[in-house]
Amino acid sequence: MSDGGVTDLAMMPHRRKRAGRTMAVVSGLVAFAAILFLTLNVSREIRLLGSASSDNVQWSLSQTEVEFLEFTKRMTMTPVDLGDVRRKFDIFYSRIGTIREARVFADLRADAGFRTELAQIQTFLEDSIPVIDSDDLALRASLPALRDRADAVRPVVRDLSTAGLDLFAVASDVQRRAVARTLTELAIALAILIGTLAVAVLYLNRLIAANTRRADLQAQTVTRMNAIIATSLDGVIVSDAAGRIMTFSPAAEAIFGHFAEDVVGRDLGGVIVPPHLRAAHDAGMERMRNGGPKRVVGQGRVRLEGMRASGEVFPIELSIQSSVTEAGEIFIAFVRDISRRVADEAELMAARDTALANEKLKTEFLATMSHEIRTPLNGLLGNMDLLQDTQLNPQQARFVRNMETSGRLLMRHISDVLDITRYDAGKMSVRAEPMNLSVLLQDIVDSQTSMAAANGTALEWGWNGAPHNWIMSDHDRLQHILMNLVGNAVKFTKAGKITVTVAAEPDGDRIGLTFAVTDTGPGLDADLAARVFDDFVTGNSAYDREVGGTGLGLSIARRFVQALDGDIGVDSAPGRGSTFWVRLPVAVAEPAEIVEVAAPAQAPQRPLHVLVVEDNEINRTVVRDMLEAGGHRVTEAADGQLGVAAAQARRFDLILMDISMPVMDGRTATRAIRKGDGPSAQSPIVALTANAMRDEQDAFMTDGMDGILMKPLSKAALAEVLAAHQGPAPGVAAGVIDRDHAAETREVLGPAGYARLAGRFVQEADDLLVWLQDVADTDLAEVAARSHKIAGSAGVFGATAFRDQLKRIETAAKAGDPATVTAAIADLAAVWDRTRDALI
Amino acid sequence: MFARIQKTAGLALMTMTCATGVAAQDAPTATPEVLLTISGEVDAPEAALTFDRAALMALPVTTIETSTIWTEGTHTFTGVSLADLMDQLGVEDGTLLATAINDYTVEIPVSDAVAGGPIIAYLMDDAEMPVRDKGPLWIIYPYDSSAAFRSEVVYSRSIWQLDRIEVDR
Repeated sequence: MSDGGVTDLAMMPHRRKRAGRTMAVVSGLVAFAAILFLTLNVSREIRLLGSASSDNVQWSLSQTEVEFLEFTKRMTMTPVDLGDVRRKFDIFYSRIGTIREARVFADLRADAGFRTELAQIQTFLEDSIPVIDSDDLALRASLPALRDRADAVRPVVRDLSTAGLDLFAVASDVQRRAVARTLTELAIALAILIGTLAVAVLYLNRLIAANTRRADLQAQTVTRMNAIIATSLDGVIVSDAAGRIMTFSPAAEAIFGHFAEDVVGRDLGGVIVPPHLRAAHDAGMERMRNGGPKRVVGQGRVRLEGMRASGEVFPIELSIQSSVTEAGEIFIAFVRDISRRVADEAELMAARDTALANEKLKTEFLATMSHEIRTPLNGLLGNMDLLQDTQLNPQQARFVRNMETSGRLLMRHISDVLDITRYDAGKMSVRAEPMNLSVLLQDIVDSQTSMAAANGTALEWGWNGAPHNWIMSDHDRLQHILMNLVGNAVKFTKAGKITVTVAAEPDGDRIGLTFAVTDTGPGLDADLAARVFDDFVTGNSAYDREVGGTGLGLSIARRFVQALDGDIGVDSAPGRGSTFWVRLPVAVAEPAEIVEVAAPAQAPQRPLHVLVVEDNEINRTVVRDMLEAGGHRVTEAADGQLGVAAAQARRFDLILMDISMPVMDGRTATRAIRKGDGPSAQSPIVALTANAMRDEQDAFMTDGMDGILMKPLSKAALAEVLAAHQGPAPGVAAGVIDRDHAAETREVLGPAGYARLAGRFVQEADDLLVWLQDVADTDLAEVAARSHKIAGSAGVFGATAFRDQLKRIETAAKAGDPATVTAAIADLAAVWDRTRDALI
Repeated sequence: MFARIQKTAGLALMTMTCATGVAAQDAPTATPEVLLTISGEVDAPEAALTFDRAALMALPVTTIETSTIWTEGTHTFTGVSLADLMDQLGVEDGTLLATAINDYTVEIPVSDAVAGGPIIAYLMDDAEMPVRDKGPLWIIYPYDSSAAFRSEVVYSRSIWQLDRIEVDR
């Protein structure tokens, strides 16, 4: 709601009210003026009519004639009563005197005719007085004459008594007309007044009705507002522009602990604002009063602090709006006590932090422990591997095998626990790479067939429906899952049959895979079937003793399946075998080119100079022994820093790098070697680690490593790595001498030593060539031995082409292949000639 | 109204002519002339109901100075106030029928007889009033003292040539 709207709404009735009031006042004034005017008019008329300025003039005039007749009549009576005559004369005389003198006859006297008549009568009276006042005798004698004279004046008296009639008629006509006019005016004025009053009454009625309606509406609104304020869960506080509290709702009372009657009229800041915010509050109010910007008002929810009656400061959330009323601007604040929420949040946050810290601690602990357990275990296993290559009697050989089995089982258990930890910590990532299902299943079945056969169980696999070999999935995880299921079936099935089937059901551009591992084993009861995928669940029947397990295998499989967005389950009944099934949605992959990988063991192996960076001395020794057994030279470094120094000093064909080491770890060392410009900066570096985490492995590659060797180290794995990193065979195109290598040897031996040894090498090689020409067909074993010896020396001087040729002779000789030997010897001379030139 | 008054005047004329006319003629100087006769419902002896000039002047005197609509200028009227006369007669309420020599009769309520009210004037400007000039008795209200005394009714009650009053309770 905008301020403008409020103002308009408030102003409209005011304007109307003011106009109405003005009109009412004007009407009233007009009415009052009219009444005043008419009152004056009417009172004047009343005065004119009421304050009689005249006696009954006409009656008096007519009485003149009557009294004159009375007088004349007395004169004619017989016997005449003179006293009576005199009295009647006197009465008439008095009448005429009155007419002559009285004010009321003044108008009449103004008339000339009237005045003449009055004079004639007066003359008669004056003339008669001596006669009337004479004694009886004289009067009696004068009576006839007096009578005659009275008769003569009689018409005059008559005229006089009637003369007034015309004059009075005219005057009264005038007065009547005046009265009539005044009365007409009065009537008109009254009509106007009544009309005005009627209009005013109508208007006032309407005004009253409108006011009543508005008052009702206002009362309703006020009632509703009060109800809203009273029932609001948030405290509602209304203050005026000066910050004085006007309303303090029940909820506000509950929040702040003040009673409304105590705080209404007081300054808001002093009541609910804590002391440390009061200055800011006052400044804010002052700013707003001066028309400055509002920082809290109208800004939605704001989080601040409030103060209770007890002085306790607590967090509040409030929202303030302003409104303009007749009393000026007011502020309406909705206040919510959020101390509980804040406390809950803090508690929740602390709990979460603790949980996260604990989780991290657990993961770190497990990772550390696994490393600490694996390191000595690697030592054990490596030594056992070496021990197997020594001369052992059958009993000792069995002991070593048993120990190795136990060791590898222990290693697997540790890996299982680690897998679960990683999955639960959300660190498990899955890859999507092209893979061949048939190859995978065949490998699994192949690896388990001998074990199954040992139990008298047949193991086979096949497609259920159309085959679909190439898919995108995580090969290692899938292998783990299926190996676990098949392994379990093999473990628990005696003299039975295990069938692995896989069905591919295309679903758009994806495929729904269903693996099923069905055995004829003892089966599971419903209870066990329900929790067989939980952690640490092992069967409780007798065969537990026959098959070991942590009870983690299936729970790990379940986690892997879930990580791959699939389902895993089992259908089983005791005595009827089990079917473990896995359903996975996978993407279709393009068939990869089939690359025939030559068996590393069969590839010709040239001796390599390997730098082994490993802090654990036993492990270092194991690696050294394994490498040296393969004919390789080994340089050792006890930590990353020493490793970097060694790599800086000379070039190595391969660097085996432990990851976790004191002083400098393997990753840092790798980065240092790669970054430097030492002779080994480009040498292959292979991680030697027990930390099998996928993410870490990727990180190793990013650091510049070329491969990973998992501990415990096996000879096979080592041989694979050595073959993979043998580098390009030093051939014709590459030149006969590995200049780098030769330079290193020169550096190591010093110029004098190098020259001496090189001279001896040339001599030996020359001798060999001569000898070979003679004994070519005779003793192949001797050929192999001698070739081998000189090949080693050739390696030292970087005479790789010569050395490789000797190797070929050696290999062929060992294989008992004289033809190849002869052919190789034939080529040797040419190679040696060039090598010899290069060396010297 | 006027008709009724004239009629009453006519009847009175017949009786008066015999009573006073004879008395005046028979003993003009022997007995003082009776100026005012009171009749009607008055509890007083017969002798106390007739007033000659001396009897009237013996009553408390009241003087009014006023103008009238029948005379020129202001005059001094001396007489007995109607209130004093009513006290004398013991009349407290009712109506007075005042009749003039010419038998002109008006009704005057006794309530008019108050102090500051009308008098029965027997002197005008300290002179007796002859019949030829509205005498001998004239009921005068103090017209100048109040507008209330300048009404048609009061003017009609201002009877001159008064010679008798009948008390009608």
